[in-house]
Amino acid sequence: MTNPFRRRSVTDLSPRAKFAAFLVLLFWALVVLFPIYWLFVTSFKTPYEVDKGPFYIPFVDFQPTLDAWKYILLDLGNDTIRPYVNTVIVGLSSSILALLLGSLAAYALVRFTYRPRVGIVGLFIASVAFAFVATILGAPALIGFGSGIAVFLILAQTIGRRFVRAFGNSDIAFWLISQRILPPIAVAIPIYVLFQQVHLLDNIAALIVTYVATNLPIVVWLMRDYFASLPRELEESAAVDGASVFRIVRSIVLPISIPGLVASFLIVLIFAWNEFLIALVLTSANAQTMPLQVAAQNATRGPQWWAMSVLILIMIAPVVAMAIALERYITRGILVGALKG
Amino acid sequence: MPVSRFRTLAPAIGLIVILAGCGSATTPAPTAPAASTPPAASAPASAAAGTSAAPAGTPGTKFAGANINILTFNGPQIAEPLQRRAPDWEKLTGGHVNIVAVGFQTIYDKALLDASTGTNSFDGYVFDPQWMGDFVGPGYLADLTAREKNDPQLNQQDIVPFFRDYNSTYNGKNYTIPLDGDFLMVYYRSDLLAKDGLKPPETWDDYLTIAQKYNGQDLNGDGTPDYGSCIAEKKGAQSYWWIINIAAGLLQSKGTSQGAFFDTTNMNPLLGTNDAMTLALQTYAKAGTFGPPDGLNMDVGGSRGLFTTGRCALTLDWGDVGTQAPGTYAQDKTGAVISPGWKQVLDRSTGKLVPCDPTTCPDAVNGVNHAPFAAFGGWSGAVNAKAPAANQDAAYDFLSYMSAPAQSSIDVTLGKTGFNPYRTSQFTNSAPWLAAGLSQAATDNYLGAIKDSLSNPNFVLDLRIPQTKQYEQDVLDTAIAQYLAKQTDETATEQAISDGWNQITTQVGKDKQLAAYISSLGVQK
Amino acid sequence: MASRNNPIELEPREPIPSGSALRSRATRRATDTLGAWRSDGAARWLFIWPAVLLILALSVFPLVTSIALSVSQLAFSEGGVHLDFTGFTNYQQLLFGLQSSEFIGVLKAPTPLGWAVILATVGLTAAAWVRAARGGQVRPIGLILRLLGGLFLCLMVVLLVRTLLSDGGRPGSVVVTIIFVLVGIALQYVLGLGLAILAVQQVPWRRFFRILFLIPLTITPVGIGYMFLMMTDTSKGPLEPIWVALGLRDFTWVTDPWLARIAVIIGDTWQWTPFVFIVLLAALESLDQEVKEAALVDGASRWQSFRHITVPALLPVTTTIVLIRIIEGFKIIDMPNILLGGGPGTATESMTLQAYLAWNTLNVGRSAAIAYLLLILVSIVATTYVSFVRRRVTDFA
Repeated sequence: MTNPFRRRSVTDLSPRAKFAAFLVLLFWALVVLFPIYWLFVTSFKTPYEVDKGPFYIPFVDFQPTLDAWKYILLDLGNDTIRPYVNTVIVGLSSSILALLLGSLAAYALVRFTYRPRVGIVGLFIASVAFAFVATILGAPALIGFGSGIAVFLILAQTIGRRFVRAFGNSDIAFWLISQRILPPIAVAIPIYVLFQQVHLLDNIAALIVTYVATNLPIVVWLMRDYFASLPRELEESAAVDGASVFRIVRSIVLPISIPGLVASFLIVLIFAWNEFLIALVLTSANAQTMPLQVAAQNATRGPQWWAMSVLILIMIAPVVAMAIALERYITRGILVGALKG
Repeated sequence: MPVSRFRTLAPAIGLIVILAGCGSATTPAPTAPAASTPPAASAPASAAAGTSAAPAGTPGTKFAGANINILTFNGPQIAEPLQRRAPDWEKLTGGHVNIVAVGFQTIYDKALLDASTGTNSFDGYVFDPQWMGDFVGPGYLADLTAREKNDPQLNQQDIVPFFRDYNSTYNGKNYTIPLDGDFLMVYYRSDLLAKDGLKPPETWDDYLTIAQKYNGQDLNGDGTPDYGSCIAEKKGAQSYWWIINIAAGLLQSKGTSQGAFFDTTNMNPLLGTNDAMTLALQTYAKAGTFGPPDGLNMDVGGSRGLFTTGRCALTLDWGDVGTQAPGTYAQDKTGAVISPGWKQVLDRSTGKLVPCDPTTCPDAVNGVNHAPFAAFGGWSGAVNAKAPAANQDAAYDFLSYMSAPAQSSIDVTLGKTGFNPYRTSQFTNSAPWLAAGLSQAATDNYLGAIKDSLSNPNFVLDLRIPQTKQYEQDVLDTAIAQYLAKQTDETATEQAISDGWNQITTQVGKDKQLAAYISSLGVQK
Repeated sequence: MASRNNPIELEPREPIPSGSALRSRATRRATDTLGAWRSDGAARWLFIWPAVLLILALSVFPLVTSIALSVSQLAFSEGGVHLDFTGFTNYQQLLFGLQSSEFIGVLKAPTPLGWAVILATVGLTAAAWVRAARGGQVRPIGLILRLLGGLFLCLMVVLLVRTLLSDGGRPGSVVVTIIFVLVGIALQYVLGLGLAILAVQQVPWRRFFRILFLIPLTITPVGIGYMFLMMTDTSKGPLEPIWVALGLRDFTWVTDPWLARIAVIIGDTWQWTPFVFIVLLAALESLDQEVKEAALVDGASRWQSFRHITVPALLPVTTTIVLIRIIEGFKIIDMPNILLGGGPGTATESMTLQAYLAWNTLNVGRSAAIAYLLLILVSIVATTYVSFVRRRVTDFA
């Protein structure tokens, strides 16, 4: 049997260093695993056992029970399954959309130059303000916004064209990420009103749209760095060969960006999967998602640890499965292969 | 068209598309209560009469086709009995009830947002009657006075006067149907006190004496020292109710309508700069020193866990401990007693404490002024005034069915429901309690303490004026948390409460709040 | 639409205000090359507009409405809800009124050490500004911005010193949030980087480690809060035996403000280290190994190869995750809320938590005002960060 710590190549570590690295990783693995293990054992405890003190190993120091699992999966039944299905649908669709729109925007911000003129942007802001003031002063919303748009178009075509100063790509990127600064608590009520107006309250479509918008900036920023680090030569030679941008992106850029795409996808999937406050405000019965169920286990009697543990465990299972399936794409082999091939 | 122009047009076109999309979104609102039911024919207005005793086996048709949404908090408590009994009600009436369960922290916001924006996705609520001040003023709740009075199913006369005439009313009208009787009591380890020949605490001084005696001793035979008193002190949990409960006996002595929060003549906060509050704060902090070291981060779930595992001699809690004790270490070792009182009371004109005598404390027992505090006020059903009439009828009938003695006398004996007794028949009839696993002695003791509390005319109503959450959960909770964490002393704490409450009162309007406070206390029979 | 005929577009302004001239030229050349591609015009707009429009549609209305909420008080009336305009009352209460002790903190005279910190900061900031002004490289508008930034920095340091390094001072939610962000991000970055570097080595079980390390991120933040509440319970939590063995049975972290803050930071670090880890891992995996191999074969030390190959390659993505973590970190709420409700007292109350507590009692005006002050604070920090840190290490900021 070969030594698992042997040195495999010139860039590889010495066996001793490798063993030390392994120990450090093992230690962190324990730090990560222990709380998860605690959730796992807690999910098999009765409330009384949780109150009595720490018990660590089922069958050894306490008699496990399936009560909490039964309560969540059978007694609640549809009240668990419905949010679960919602979470899966909302999480997957919103993160795929965010990844698609976000990586295209990121690519555009890296490879093209945009110069939105300061004057136009200023006029746009002024028009929005105009529309709001008109609405607040009592004009119907559609008329208020309609006239706002009209004002904007007229001014943009006349005064706006005289402005020369312009913003650059970096300003667009910063504007995108700055949308995440305002805490969700501040936008909760406006978002509620917005979706109430379009009759999408308690509808997963509202959650999907909102999550795509909130996660887009993250994708844009992460992918921008990836695209920027790619060598241009491939794209340039393809362009010289007459390939269209769409074709270059589809068959060259995206394949070699897979590590970045996978990492970004996992991150936005996790964000959408776990988002709490917007879901809380926008849903009541049909569109509830799992984080609400977890939070709701803190009842007037204090947290229902056992039920909460079950919910958390069944919530992370699909994400972990996804991570296992996708992890191998975050490896150097693919990139190197693509570059050489 | 030149590209530059397209560029300026693009965002505008996009906006137009979005707005057009908004304007033309005429798909049926998924949250709107399904009004697709055959109207009035099957839901006659006579629903108020509420005789839902359909013959067994034959499905009722009184509310056939009605589909109602009831908002409540997702249990296991509270939602559990509603969900369990919904099918029975549906069988009786032919209606369909949909229990929308959300987290406890969010019911208030959810219900208020829903009602105030005209979304009206809920036909009924099972929530906290404390919030009536915010809901009744703008007309979000249906007046149930006539329905309740004439409803044989509900049997309103069986409901204890405090819950019937005070807790479920606002400005003299009934807006809620009680489903749960919430008030705080003190629980003690009856085995320990009996062994040492001690009486349960009558005053808070007794409470501290007993707590000190048992603190640090092994109370459950596991070899580790245990605690004298377990009272929740966590911020953002229950501590603001606990301080009100301790102070109540010092602040109110002349019956429920005297009020314990504000002076009804000038809206001055009573939980403010006076000797009563100082004594109450010191008592709360002192009780904490006989508790677990991390008591500052303990909520009521934690204190219940400690009490039921035999680690505490005393605790302060709602009725739930009594029904949760069976099956734990505390089974048949749990005694309950009316929340302790004081032998002195606040003179509101001077801010000083004066001894109790028949004039200052007319309801005192053995010279001790008790003021049982209906913290939270108990889960209650209410009907959305803006729901379709047929749905209002059905929602009322369902809530009345839940409260009817046949159902509720069972539910209040079960720990899992979270419901506590609020009807005379519930503490005169001990059979369901014995069936639920309490011993005869424990039943007698528990029901005796409840009876003592409920028959006390000096019951304290929880604060029910507009913005009650800001008064209690924001200002009071923060001030108490800072005091318990030793960030502030008594004087600064009292000043902070007083200033904070006055600020809210001024913002809403002092006259308006004073009128609301008097309305919330008033009972016009 | 097929060709770009706007004269301004043909003369792209230098997209990068700072950064090495060489790299800038390379960028421009590349942009121009790609600019000649076919169907470029359609792609230019199709790639970016969907993202911009979606964000516009969902951000403008809430942004403006929140301003309106922050200067008013929500009131419920017959048949609806209306906003009573109250001017800047909400802001005034937070900054100078009754709520200022909770928001800003209790300000007291600094200790000698505090004075030293203040003087050092003021001195260094002034020196840096004078040097920039003398250098002549910075335009007047840049100098004014730098002056404002310096003043803001000094103001923040004075606030930190007067609440933390003073007799009887107490930090409010602004200072608490800043502590969480600074300490938390530093820890998360160091841990995440270290783990990522180790996890790209050919060690046994590396796939297992990589997936496992991601797990904390996958748990919903509320759930992590409760999980840590269990872990940190010293009377019935899993660490109770250790606690008792150390003779700490009667000792608790929950009553001490600093121990409580440390607990929050530990929980936050446990949760967010995987974020740094996975992004850096992907970046490390994308590094060209051949360059590294060549360097090592040529006799470069491992440290040299790390310093001169790995670090420069990681810098852009490093600045991105730090920026994202700054923005997200300022919104910290679940961990302090669930662990301690912001307690003991108000010791762990972050700005977002304070806004949430106000919102929960439907004090929507105050909640929006706190959120806006947070927006201003983070915008200043993020802008400064982008212009002083990120633009130095990347071509595009």
